[in-house]
Amino acid sequence: MDEDVLTTLKILIIGESGVGKSSLLLRFTDDTFDPELAATIGVDFKVKTISVDGNKAKLAIWDTAGQERFRTLTPSYYRGAQGVILVYDVTRRDTFVKLDNWLNELETYCTRNDIVKMLVGNKIDKENREVDRNEGLKFARKHSMLFIEASAKTCDGVQCAFEELVEKIIQTPGLWESESQNRGVKLSNKEEGYGGGGACGGYCSML
Amino acid sequence: MAADSEPESEVFEITDFTTASEWERFISKVEEVLNDWKLIGISSGKPLEKGVYTTGAWEEKSDEISFADFKFSITHHYLVQEPSDKDGKEELVEDALPLPVQDLLCMNNDFPPRAHCLVRWYGLREFVVIAPAANNDAVLSESKCNLLLSSISIALGNTGCQVPLFVQIHHKWRRMYVGECQGPGVRTDFEMVHLRKVPNQYTHLSGLLDIFKSKIGCPLTPLPPVSMAIRLTYVLQDWQQYFWPQQPPDIDALVGGEVGGLEFGKLPFGACEDPISELHLATTWPHLTEGIIVDNDVYSDLDPLQAPQWSVRVRKADNPQCLLGDFLTEFFKLCRRKESTDEILGRSAFEEEGKEVADITHALSKLTEPAPVPIHKLSVTNMVHSAKKKIRKRRGVDESPLNNEVLNTILLFLFPDAADKLADGFESRTSTSAGNNPPPENEDYNLFSQFKSAPSDSLTYKLALCLCMINFYHGGVKGVAHLWQEFVLEMRYRWENNYLIPGLANGPPDLRCCLLHQKLQMLNCCIERKKARDEGKRGSMSDCSPGGTSGDTGKGADHSGENPDKDKEVGKSWESWSDSEEEFFECLSDTEDLKGNGQENGKKGGAKEGNKEPVNLKPEGRLHPHGKLTLLHPGEPLYIPITQEPAPMTEDLLEEQSEVLAKLGTSAEGAHLRARMQSACLLSDMESFKAANPGCCLEDFVRWYSPRDYIEEEVVDEKGNVVIKGELSARMKIPSNMWVEAWETAKPVPARRQKRLFDDTREAEKVLHYLAVQKPADLARHLLPCIIHAAVLKVKEEEALEDISSVKKIIKQIISHSSKVLRFPNPEDKKLEEIIAQIMSVEAIIARARSLKAKFGVEKCENEEEKEDLQRFVNCLLEQPEVSVIGAGRGPAGSIIHKLFVNAQRVSAVPPLDEELRRSGSSEERRLNMGAVSDFPPPTGREVILRTTVPRPAPYSKPLPQRMYSVLTKEDFRLAGAFSADTTFF
Ligand SMILES: Nc1nc2c(ncn2[C@@H]2O[C@H](COP(=O)(O)OP(=O)(O)OP(=O)(O)O)[C@@H](O)[C@H]2O)c(=O)[nH]1
Ligand SMILES: [Mg+2]
Repeated sequence: MDEDVLTTLKILIIGESGVGKSSLLLRFTDDTFDPELAATIGVDFKVKTISVDGNKAKLAIWDTAGQERFRTLTPSYYRGAQGVILVYDVTRRDTFVKLDNWLNELETYCTRNDIVKMLVGNKIDKENREVDRNEGLKFARKHSMLFIEASAKTCDGVQCAFEELVEKIIQTPGLWESESQNRGVKLSNKEEGYGGGGACGGYCSML
Repeated sequence: MAADSEPESEVFEITDFTTASEWERFISKVEEVLNDWKLIGISSGKPLEKGVYTTGAWEEKSDEISFADFKFSITHHYLVQEPSDKDGKEELVEDALPLPVQDLLCMNNDFPPRAHCLVRWYGLREFVVIAPAANNDAVLSESKCNLLLSSISIALGNTGCQVPLFVQIHHKWRRMYVGECQGPGVRTDFEMVHLRKVPNQYTHLSGLLDIFKSKIGCPLTPLPPVSMAIRLTYVLQDWQQYFWPQQPPDIDALVGGEVGGLEFGKLPFGACEDPISELHLATTWPHLTEGIIVDNDVYSDLDPLQAPQWSVRVRKADNPQCLLGDFLTEFFKLCRRKESTDEILGRSAFEEEGKEVADITHALSKLTEPAPVPIHKLSVTNMVHSAKKKIRKRRGVDESPLNNEVLNTILLFLFPDAADKLADGFESRTSTSAGNNPPPENEDYNLFSQFKSAPSDSLTYKLALCLCMINFYHGGVKGVAHLWQEFVLEMRYRWENNYLIPGLANGPPDLRCCLLHQKLQMLNCCIERKKARDEGKRGSMSDCSPGGTSGDTGKGADHSGENPDKDKEVGKSWESWSDSEEEFFECLSDTEDLKGNGQENGKKGGAKEGNKEPVNLKPEGRLHPHGKLTLLHPGEPLYIPITQEPAPMTEDLLEEQSEVLAKLGTSAEGAHLRARMQSACLLSDMESFKAANPGCCLEDFVRWYSPRDYIEEEVVDEKGNVVIKGELSARMKIPSNMWVEAWETAKPVPARRQKRLFDDTREAEKVLHYLAVQKPADLARHLLPCIIHAAVLKVKEEEALEDISSVKKIIKQIISHSSKVLRFPNPEDKKLEEIIAQIMSVEAIIARARSLKAKFGVEKCENEEEKEDLQRFVNCLLEQPEVSVIGAGRGPAGSIIHKLFVNAQRVSAVPPLDEELRRSGSSEERRLNMGAVSDFPPPTGREVILRTTVPRPAPYSKPLPQRMYSVLTKEDFRLAGAFSADTTFF
């Protein structure tokens, strides 16, 4: 593992089929748009190292298939993820309506309750918009998520979405430190402050 | 003013610092520290409020200084006070008495329950102590003590600091301090006497008054009156009327089920010894004037019953032995054991000469023959089906760590369905102990997903509790290994004989639970499929009838009452498909079997040949029509096929799989390979689809499978009519994309004749092997979350009976702490220990509350109002260091306390003769023992504070505060005097 990488973060992309999850990821990792991208089978995987606030973080990003039939498999990838990007297609209302189901699934299978969630409304380059930006905002606020609208095609908002998510994860105490600690990566003793020891038996700041 | 004076004195004294002596350097260091801490100048502050020493916050600051190479620590102790406003400061009179000197006379904070000893002795709100830094260092010689004392005197004088400065002398345990306080024209000396043997005249008030007066040496006659505060402390250790009821549970009687709350599936609770060891009653006369009472060598007016103030504190046993805590601790210790199950059992009862123990780890080789089950008597299901088993005779059954009775009780508890089978056809008892578990939506019930344990009505959870109990009461790690071995045998037996494992939710492994639970669920999935397959083979030779009845009958037979949920859990949105799983694999996975069956063989051949023109085929494996959709070309209704369920997975398998997938890298080829590896399910579905819809094309499949990839548009054709034209999405149309590729390879084969996506035989053997190689330590780690979960529930339950708000808060903290720690793989031992310690402390608090409640007879109290008061009093005792008794000896609590003492006295009233002789030695007791047995024992502590204001040293000096504190205990005697003198006129 690169020495200057602070931590490896597991990020998950979910959402209905065809909303552009794989396209967003390709835009982020390779900065291209490929209209000939095949529908994802099972899960796909990409890696990218980015730098946020001077900290380098390696992102292991799992791109899941939105196709219903593959979904029985995907919950397993929720495990241990620190961040999740939930995508809908602003030109297809049905993909927005289904968001609740996705959040439910996330709640059920995600192993931690402090996972950082980001909502992305994709394909804003297209004309026939069906979901208003405000609706997305409202939904995100209701479920304490980050929110951004983006276009994998024109590149709008894509970089920003990922960076914002990572920044938030890094700011969340305990979210990334203990995870990497369990993987044997040595980190500074950041943990001491919130969880370890202390006069109060180590749980004073927990409530 | 003070800050300015310093440079002057330096100019005067020292010009060349290199010649400064160690002593001078020490003094200047002290001054520097006092300066740094801003202790220079007039001390200010408000008059002390009543009780503020207890309610207020105390803080301290420390630094290190040295005298030559001897290290001292210098510490400033102070009561945190609101910063006094600026205006107040101006009012301060230049030559007012320093605050600490005024405080000597303040009576608002006498006998604080918890304070630094110097606070208790001198009533100070602020002071600085210089003490040897190392714990075993001491300033012993008189010359050194004097040197130190003059050092601080000089430092105080040089800086104008008005805070009292002390040095600690002699060994630290003696708590000997001497000190000084300086103010304008006044100096107070703090002196101390500490004796192991008490001179007789110090044991009573009149003697102490004499010393005080002679120390003051006041020339005035008559002397101004001396005010006195007296506190006598009595200790009660012997709780006569009250016996701690909780005996360690009777283990032998355990098999019967419930003894002393010890029951399999329950954790015990409570202290084994009294968690309250002593009661200290302090009887206080806060303000007496000299001459009002008599207390001398032969007579005393100080009757504790008449004391105007009573306060009580309780001594809590430090770490009372508590059952739940012991259980947890012992179970946690298991985690550190190194031995394997075989190693533990091999050395004892399970060894046979020359022959290895039936090695359950080589399970794979035993597939064909019935597995020999050691100790036949002990396996429950085995009791039922013993006829089928070849029983190995072994010696030493009696030596096995668990006796048969216990083992059978446990196994029946874990596998209640075995009892049902025993009762032959008795089917009413389906779900285990359904009645007494919380409903599944309850917050407590869902704790398992926070703790990553297992539901509280699950087999895993019950197993954890049994192992915990066995570890504690039935042979420790050996018993654990033994039960585990039996458990694994039972699992194998069930797999081989198609008996579902009870106490597990149906459906794929629940990733929210611990891995062991998932493994058991996995095994159950395997059993379910194998069973369905076996029954399908036996029952339905007719191979059509989708959603047929054979599966249903098979289901009714053994799936127990948990079944109603099942359809909902399997496959979620695909629920309509899941019913038919029993029919999937009637032809097994092996191609040999296929060949053996002529009919199937023919069909398979047909599929091959007809690959390009499937239209001729008879449709197979249809589930139901897909709405009103029709195939694009033949126009037939489009059928949803029966499909294979995807393989259930446990988290470790998933982890493995995702690692493999990740290893393929991020290149295009890697991505392609990854998709291909995951396309088995897609291919299987395509084959099922083709079989169900002869003549279909990829567009048809996509319309069912991925409707968004079939784009329909209204177009106007040549004739001007609006028609709907559909086509595949761009991404589906890419030549040779994975979907097209898979479509082209897919043959029309119905799900039940496809190769199994999930090899239940292999997976079951993997699980059984996994179970067999678990060491007791592994087991303990797997199950610790369940135990912590159970312990938290237990503590919650017990707290609910007592309703202690502080405990409620701690429990909340424990839950949130635990869910943080337990969700991660391999939590650190340190954190686990923390959790256990928290649970133990809660147990101790509850036990103390119960002990106190019993001692004060709260339950027995009939007057409602009094009962409430008593309850409040008891709660205060738990939470506050000292509680005052309303109405002193005459209040309801007071009279209970009085009775407690009287009872204890009555018992000790007939002491052995020699003891009586020895006792009568002290004058104290001689006085108290005069006449009848007194209600109270001799006081354990006598504290007296004497105060007055007199001119010193000369009759014409300023009248100044004088104070002397004395404490007399069984072990020692201490006098702490603060004598002020006028330094201007003498
Ligand atoms: N105009 C436009 N088209 C987009 C955009 N993002 C994706 N698409 C197109 O939408 C279609 C689906 O995109 P994918 O990225 O494959 O969608 P997905 O969410 O990965 O779909 P699944 O893998 O089936 O879950 C493709 O044809 C993309 O070219 C976008 O921002 N703008
Ligand atoms: Mg995709």
